[in-house]
Amino acid sequence: MRQLLDHAGATEEKVFGHFGATGGYALAARRGMHEFSAGPETWKHIAVGQRKWANLNPAAMMHGKAMTEDDYYRAPMMVEPFRLFDNCLINDGGRAVIVTSAERAEDLKHPPVLLMGMGFHNPSNQISQARYMAGPTGAKEAGRAAFQMAGIEVEDIDACQIYDCFTYTVELTMQDYGFFEYGQGKNWFSGGAIEPGGRLPVNTSGGQLSEAYYMGLTPVSEAVMQLMGRCEDRQLGPKTDTKTPEIILCSDNGGILQSHACYIFRRR
Amino acid sequence: MSYNKPMPKPDADSKPFWEGCRNHQLMFQKCTACGHVRWPASILCPKCHSRETQWIQSKGRGTIYTYVVYHQAFDPAFKGDVPYVVAIVELEEGPMLLTNIAGCPHESLECEMRVQVTWEEVSDEISLPKFQLSGA
Repeated sequence: MRQLLDHAGATEEKVFGHFGATGGYALAARRGMHEFSAGPETWKHIAVGQRKWANLNPAAMMHGKAMTEDDYYRAPMMVEPFRLFDNCLINDGGRAVIVTSAERAEDLKHPPVLLMGMGFHNPSNQISQARYMAGPTGAKEAGRAAFQMAGIEVEDIDACQIYDCFTYTVELTMQDYGFFEYGQGKNWFSGGAIEPGGRLPVNTSGGQLSEAYYMGLTPVSEAVMQLMGRCEDRQLGPKTDTKTPEIILCSDNGGILQSHACYIFRRR
Repeated sequence: MSYNKPMPKPDADSKPFWEGCRNHQLMFQKCTACGHVRWPASILCPKCHSRETQWIQSKGRGTIYTYVVYHQAFDPAFKGDVPYVVAIVELEEGPMLLTNIAGCPHESLECEMRVQVTWEEVSDEISLPKFQLSGA
């Protein structure tokens, strides 16, 4: 155990009892609460909303498990301000997406999904020296580049698949992309906005919080499947009382908000 | 009972920092080219890449930039401590230091509170810089 923990992070952090991603993102989330975020009052909407999507997805680890706001609040504190359901899942498994040219994809069996734009930005500092933990993160520049390449605006996005290692990551990322005004996450996520039937579906497989953690491939594979129309009970469109999607945005980030990628996909 | 938590492993860069701690002095490198005071210790200044550096003593005063409360012991050695506070303290001289806030209930903490260094002796060679609320 000791040997394992000795390799788990920077020595100077472990000395003070600081371990892993939960602690790092919790530090960021607390600073976020100091600067702009309503914290759990916002994050409960993300955790509960994504769970409703997972309940429609038989492949999701949390498929058969409903969650209410009370369940969210009653779950144990892990590293405060994060409760249990602010954390993503831990699982084994795999995901794959085949990437090829639009020309090569023409005569394939399944309809292809096209990549419209992408952007990357990496602030890189270790978390204890970071000044970006309450934003702007890499999402700001990566999003700007992706939207510019795609030639579209935020208003053109029909659904989002956001890298959701923690609930706070979803709030911060979507704020940096410009889906809502600074500090307005609590209002924006309320009223079932991201759920089945909501005005902007987010993490429609259940995401890493409620489907499974496949790093950046949880969001990317779900975006592609949705645009191909292969999502069955959770399919965006009439089945879930949402808009049939033309354009879906995905995010991915690494480290403790140290690297960021944004992808925008569209139906052919 | 002997101390069974992870110990710092001073290397060529950080040795002066931990030697300072043993003497209850919080020491950081200051770039003599651009004046930037840095942590963690490194051979180059992260601002201007100069190798010219001197060690200065911090007054040990700063503010809580952010903090968390561990309610779970991810290492069993910390089981007796939960709930305990891990914080990033922004020192007056500039560096940010990951540390613990000791000696006050975590419910009373907020970002930007003023703190000062306090020392925990863990062995003959190692003292850990922890922080408490100023005036506490």
